[in-house]
Amino acid sequence: MSHAADSPLLMIGWDFHQTPVEIRERLAFSPEKVKEALSIMRKEGLLSEGVIISTCNRSEVYGVAGAALADKDPIEGLTEFIAHYHGVPRAEVNGYGYRFAGPEAARHLLRVTSGMESLALGEHQIIGQVREAFRLASSAGATRSVLHRLFQKALETGKRVRSETGLSSRPISIPGVAMELSEKIYENLAPRKFLLLGAGETSGIFFDLLLARGATNIEVTNRTFTRAQELCKRGGKAVPWEDLNAHLATADIVVSATSSTTPVISFEAAKAAVAQRRGQPLFFLDLGIPRNVDPRIGELNNAFLYAVDDLQEIAERNRQERQKELGPALEILEEELEEFLAWFGSLAVIPTVTSLRQKFESIRESDFDRQLEKMTHIDAKDREKIRLMAQGMVKSLLRHPTEAIKDEPDPGRRLDRAEAARHLFDLDVKPKERD
Amino acid sequence: MWGLTGLSALALTLYLAAEAFSLAHLRRERDSFATATTVLLWLGFLVHFAALEIGGRAVHSVPYHDLPSSMSLFAWMIAASYGILLLRHRESSTGPFLIPLAIFFLSISLATGPGATMVRDPSRSGSLFAMHVTLAIFGYSALTLAFVLAQLYLIQNQQLRRRKLGPLFAKLPALDVLSRLHRTSVLIGVSALSVATVLGLIWAKSNWGTYWDPKVLFTVLVIGIYLVTLFPGRAGGGKKIAILSIAGFSLLLFSYSIVNLFITHEHMFQ
Repeated sequence: MSHAADSPLLMIGWDFHQTPVEIRERLAFSPEKVKEALSIMRKEGLLSEGVIISTCNRSEVYGVAGAALADKDPIEGLTEFIAHYHGVPRAEVNGYGYRFAGPEAARHLLRVTSGMESLALGEHQIIGQVREAFRLASSAGATRSVLHRLFQKALETGKRVRSETGLSSRPISIPGVAMELSEKIYENLAPRKFLLLGAGETSGIFFDLLLARGATNIEVTNRTFTRAQELCKRGGKAVPWEDLNAHLATADIVVSATSSTTPVISFEAAKAAVAQRRGQPLFFLDLGIPRNVDPRIGELNNAFLYAVDDLQEIAERNRQERQKELGPALEILEEELEEFLAWFGSLAVIPTVTSLRQKFESIRESDFDRQLEKMTHIDAKDREKIRLMAQGMVKSLLRHPTEAIKDEPDPGRRLDRAEAARHLFDLDVKPKERD
Repeated sequence: MWGLTGLSALALTLYLAAEAFSLAHLRRERDSFATATTVLLWLGFLVHFAALEIGGRAVHSVPYHDLPSSMSLFAWMIAASYGILLLRHRESSTGPFLIPLAIFFLSISLATGPGATMVRDPSRSGSLFAMHVTLAIFGYSALTLAFVLAQLYLIQNQQLRRRKLGPLFAKLPALDVLSRLHRTSVLIGVSALSVATVLGLIWAKSNWGTYWDPKVLFTVLVIGIYLVTLFPGRAGGGKKIAILSIAGFSLLLFSYSIVNLFITHEHMFQ
């Protein structure tokens, strides 16, 4: 089990690092295809368990090798199937991607779930995607003890990395930085009033972001009123461009993303608006290039102004900060991986059979032999005969279960039987439960 | 079994442990750290109360008659004020900055000998006088918290304004949260100090035959400054309120030190 190549746990995958998007597209799985592919792989005995993670950045297959792969290189066998399934020439598939077995396969999944393999380092949406992939495989009946334990461990690791390190803490996208800044002025954005200037693509992105954050009070203004109305079909209220200054004073956060070549919010208008707000801060996010908001507004008391360049600079700094958090995140990952591998290693045949024998022998010695010693009316010779009979009985009792574990040709089923034996007879020290 | 010193030391240990968990929570946000902070803080608060109770029984009064006991009472009131903020706003990220205040003043109390025999001035007695002093200390403690919160506001405000988001940026709460915490602290402080002043005036009239004491003037000035901070529209908003609050606290310190020592002799510790 310790030898990676001999391990029934394996994975193959293609991600944005090595595989061009044209190949990734062809190797992607829809939820229906995930179920179908898992079902075929299990039916054909390629995998006894399997989970497929398929996102826009990666397609990965995790599995426990089945009996059909027992006599060949299981990774090669699995790769062949995936290429055939998607109708992609084997040569093309072979040229890209990565393949791991045993501890390396487990480590890779933990890295993926922790956001270490993501396009944006520390990106945490992947936790939800991994959870969904596992749910899909479970609902298709494709997971059993090994992948169940592995994916639970991966999700736990992802959560720990997110909560205990700064790998995912600071935003690295411009909208993310803008939202973080807004939340440092007004903790709860939902009841705040937003004023969006412009109805183009950037405004649309922010509009959706605000709706996702629970904002209900969004006003949109645009020189072409109908475009503002169009955007507001998803929620919010369109206001005429001519009323812009009047609406400034009642807004808490102003997001400006117009294509105007001159500032659309003047210093005087902002000053008048701030004065009417009785000490309440007013936050300007200027996403226009060139600037939409007079830069002097940032000097006003109770007004805060951030332009695109400022947001970009913060995003870059945050990116660097995330890199520094990689070390602590890896420590957590290795700690969790060690726990999984300790459990996985215990499923190997020899330790399981040895533990099973030891358990039965210890029961025989502590219960039967002790009672036998007390039976003084039986002479010593007969007691020895009875003891030998008991030893023989224990061996007979264990013969079938140990053979069922040792001689099972399907590696996945072998692991299941080992796990069942360990569970039924309480054989091992369970992997540490985390509080 | 546990004397005044022992209980005070235990309370200090519990506050220190609460601070350690509070810092851990600031570093790595975990609910268990926040819970541990709250539990340890309240335990410290209760043990500290037991210590004050022993001190109070010895002099048959609220224990404020000498420097060590008044410092201990002050530290306890700070813990109480912070407890009120926690209960009212459920905001624990300011803990690492506020709990040290209780630790600092309780340490002074322990360093100056809380076990020493407390001497009670017979000319300053009665429940009215006790309430005057106790409420004044409570008011001071809440305003001390307001002072720290005002500084935190200025730090966060400065970081946002200068676009220099240091390591504290993500850890400190939003400006509106700091404003709310500050406002609650000032409300507690001003209310307690106002009632303490009125009770003090009544006591002074019946014992000294006059309302006049220069201390009153400074206290009214302090209350006036803090009252302005409760009206953000008039005060000019967050940053100006924070500066005004710091000015109010500076005057309070002046009143507590220079005025007590050199201008009036009626508010000196023995």
